[in-house]
Amino acid sequence: MVLAAFILISSTALFFFYLQAACQRALNTRFEQEYFRSIVNANRLEFLSLRKELEEYGHAVDYGRLRMTLKCDFLALTYLLKNAANVNQSYSRDESLLMFYFRALFVIVAARRIFRLSEKKAVLKLTAILEYFANVVGQRVSQYRFGNLAPSDYLLEL
Amino acid sequence: MGVSLYLLLLLSVDAVGRPLVLHKYGVSSTQYEYFYWLSDVVLTLGAFLLVCSLFRRACAGQEKIWDMLLPTLGAVFALVLGISLATLHEHYKNLLTIFMTEFQQNLYFACLVLNTLLYILLQRRQSEDEELAMTVCGLGIQFAGPAANFALVYLAQGNASFQALYQYLGVFCTIGMLATWGYAVVHVPQPAKVASKERSPVWASSALRS
Repeated sequence: MVLAAFILISSTALFFFYLQAACQRALNTRFEQEYFRSIVNANRLEFLSLRKELEEYGHAVDYGRLRMTLKCDFLALTYLLKNAANVNQSYSRDESLLMFYFRALFVIVAARRIFRLSEKKAVLKLTAILEYFANVVGQRVSQYRFGNLAPSDYLLEL
Repeated sequence: MGVSLYLLLLLSVDAVGRPLVLHKYGVSSTQYEYFYWLSDVVLTLGAFLLVCSLFRRACAGQEKIWDMLLPTLGAVFALVLGISLATLHEHYKNLLTIFMTEFQQNLYFACLVLNTLLYILLQRRQSEDEELAMTVCGLGIQFAGPAANFALVYLAQGNASFQALYQYLGVFCTIGMLATWGYAVVHVPQPAKVASKERSPVWASSALRS
């Protein structure tokens, strides 16, 4: 019984550890250029300004806005991941894994808020995931030629 | 090579063997249950062997450490295999009881411990082989989820709903592992791997030193 309890606790902890390690390693991937900027500008995404705010003040000024911003940016980017310059019109497995990681972190941010713990680190991880998604979309779009349209023009017309 | 062999085993069991037995005997048959759990044991032992082979890659260029690890890993695998076969033989008549849960829990946890030791080794060596690190992370997901689930079933005295959870968690963990491996193959650049392969030969280094 004691052994089973030990295995349950340690395996659960290691499960989340490995999941986090795999996702963080994926997020550390370097892209040839900063594709995310054109995507952020074209779609008026707000996670970059949110990150800047966090880095300057150490915490979000308005928690309600923080949640809404992250959620809206996530929805916009996952829509683009699926539909912008994506022939298969579906998510790849690693994208699905990162989406799961985003949702898990989102719950953690809410939990940390309830227990009055600092949510800065978790929110920065969330913005890193959004930046990664924006980079992937930007890279895909840049690989296609749409006449004389720039990636941002293409996305604006989507 | 090791990863490819393991994937081949996974594919032949999950995509060929199990559906065939399921089609022939039905989902509630004893034959299918026996085949399912015994093939799960084979897959776990295959994964254990894969972790052992990954130690070789982690110790690339450090023959001294590998010479020390090889007999240890061989002995550990022989021990796990021996205990598994002996225990399964002993309980073969009443395999589909709480015994299988306890057995699988221990087997998955043994694999998880070995995998974690490999991860620690990679961290200590500050290995730049990102592909290997991602492979180890994927295997960690594959081992940790089922180990926790089996322990939960054992603690809940074989509660059916926790047992049913394995159907989903097992698949989720396999998808997680494949996603991580897929990412490692497709996206991770391999400067470290190339660097180690293109390292100048011993005769060239000694000539440069002199």
